[in-house]
Amino acid sequence: MTTFLVTVGVGLATAAILALSAVAFTLQYAVSRVVNFAHGEFLTIGAYVAYSTQAAFHQNVAVGAVVAAAAGAAAGLVLNIAVIERFRGRTAITVLIATLGVALIAENVLEMIYGAANVSYGYPQGGLHHVGPFLWTTSDIEVIVAALAVAGLIYLLLQRTRFGKAIRAVSQDRALAQVSGIPARRIILQTWILAGAVAGFAGFALADTVGTFGPLLGFNFLLLTITATVAGGLGRPYGTLGGALIVGLVIQIAGTYTDSAYELVFAFLLLVVLMLFRPNGVFVRRSAVAVRA
Amino acid sequence: MYWVSVVTEAGVIAILALGLDVVWGWTGDFDLAFYGYLALGSYFTFVLSIGKPVPPVQYIIGWRLPVLAAIALAVVAVVCVAAVVGAIALRNLRGIYFAITTLGAVSALYLLVENYTPLFNGYNGVYGLINPGQSALNLTYDGYRIAFLVVVLVLLLLAYLLVQRLSRSPFGRMLRSVREDERAAAAYGRPVFSAKYRAYLFGAALAGLAGGLFAIFISAFNTGAWSPQELLVVYAAILVGGRGNPRGVIVGVFVVYIGFIELTRYLPSPASRPEFGPALRQVLIGLMLVLMLKFRPEGIFRERPGVDRGPRPAGRPLPGRIGALPSLIAARAGGGPAQARAASASAGDARSAGLGRDGAPEGTGCEDGGSG
Repeated sequence: MTTFLVTVGVGLATAAILALSAVAFTLQYAVSRVVNFAHGEFLTIGAYVAYSTQAAFHQNVAVGAVVAAAAGAAAGLVLNIAVIERFRGRTAITVLIATLGVALIAENVLEMIYGAANVSYGYPQGGLHHVGPFLWTTSDIEVIVAALAVAGLIYLLLQRTRFGKAIRAVSQDRALAQVSGIPARRIILQTWILAGAVAGFAGFALADTVGTFGPLLGFNFLLLTITATVAGGLGRPYGTLGGALIVGLVIQIAGTYTDSAYELVFAFLLLVVLMLFRPNGVFVRRSAVAVRA
Repeated sequence: MYWVSVVTEAGVIAILALGLDVVWGWTGDFDLAFYGYLALGSYFTFVLSIGKPVPPVQYIIGWRLPVLAAIALAVVAVVCVAAVVGAIALRNLRGIYFAITTLGAVSALYLLVENYTPLFNGYNGVYGLINPGQSALNLTYDGYRIAFLVVVLVLLLLAYLLVQRLSRSPFGRMLRSVREDERAAAAYGRPVFSAKYRAYLFGAALAGLAGGLFAIFISAFNTGAWSPQELLVVYAAILVGGRGNPRGVIVGVFVVYIGFIELTRYLPSPASRPEFGPALRQVLIGLMLVLMLKFRPEGIFRERPGVDRGPRPAGRPLPGRIGALPSLIAARAGGGPAQARAASASAGDARSAGLGRDGAPEGTGCEDGGSG
């Protein structure tokens, strides 16, 4: 039982990072209907920029997080203006291939700058703490608290602000939002910036938690992010939080009781099964028979 | 000999690309699992021909078949795997959902092969297929490599002729009609799933063949040889050459693999950073992919619309009750024979538009149908 609870605790820490990344992915999908395969690169860019600047900011974790978020936001802005807007009106799959190309570019530009070898932060992980039945390091707790805070802020943003209302309108029907006087293009751009910021922060949290990271950090995390997003329902921010929880727990529990090398195999098989039987997420009763992008 | 090896690799990849183009170019399914079929074809060719594993090396089967029989069996095995994957994935999944699912499936397969050693010896991979049949053919090492290049090019030519023929056949046109508008094709009685499924199996067979040839070409195979990035280069090559056009696909592969990759091999890398040049090459490939998609999605060679050599469909009455419909409509409306002819002609036009791409607007061939 103790093993199980420790496992659940680690799963929750994984789920927290996954939730950050997946919420960003799903928000961006909701407004622009783009499956962004370069999403992982937001995480990687955030992680690396925080790495470059950590000495300048005297190893301050909070500053590192802000720097990572800012870098991710900048990446979201650039990607939206330079690529996504220019592919407007093209089919979803064409845009997907384009973002895959962007992912290849970003990943290798980072490799040219930082080299292929892994790097790591110098932040202390902190000691182990017993919180209720769980066992977490200080940085685990920080990540979980931060994820909850971000989730809360996004909830308030979506429900209580004009910007959030506009996001919801655009995600339901862009054309209708446009004729109602909502500047859809600007809202989409701002959402990409927001998604980039959240993803950049997630990249920082991920890099800090796994210890060492390389240029493939984000791309390797992308499919896990997509799995969590699909589990929660593509384009549904609140469902995505639940999806991240499910995926985080599944990989930790499956990994602990088989072999940690196979934990991602389980995650990706879960993705395939979800796609086949619950393509709209596990929280939706009715599942469409034929899924169209 | 360096160029022999370069051209051989391009030839093998061109066979793979022809298969991939049948799936992506003709039916419009963006399959990210496709490189997995090359990998499986390669792995199976190894384990069927290199004999029992010597510990600590581990792998399944471990027969010592002649290499041609091994490749043939490997193709069969790959088609069997594709039959399962295709039956599941092609049934309902389209567009981005298909792409995500195939990426999930191939990633699961990749991690399984990498970590589960008894299958194909994990990340160390399998090796030991060095110029099979060299002594029987009484060739030198270089002579064997040149002979192998000729074999690859002949197989490529055969694959090209087959694909080209299929492309112009009613089957090829049916696939394109499915790509352009799945619902319309289904409404005109095309068996959408079965058409896609057969195309998928055919593509996978070509990938399996390419895998078998790849096994002989590199004589060792491990998970480093088939990361998802590799497939992206093949997609870029198809896009450059001309999606849906077999000749364009081959030209694209040779342009990208020989022109591009070989030229960029001489990019400068500082001694302390050996990965700089290869990374820059990947950046250029990514740029090429995005720019081609943006500015010339039809590639160097545009896809050629199917030509129906039979009698004009407009002049041919449709069978059964549907065929009688235009005259019935005309009779109901009380019109003369001229009106009936006009009605019949428009029905025929709609039908031909559903079959070939004769009436489709320019450039639509590069977008995917069924993703609205």
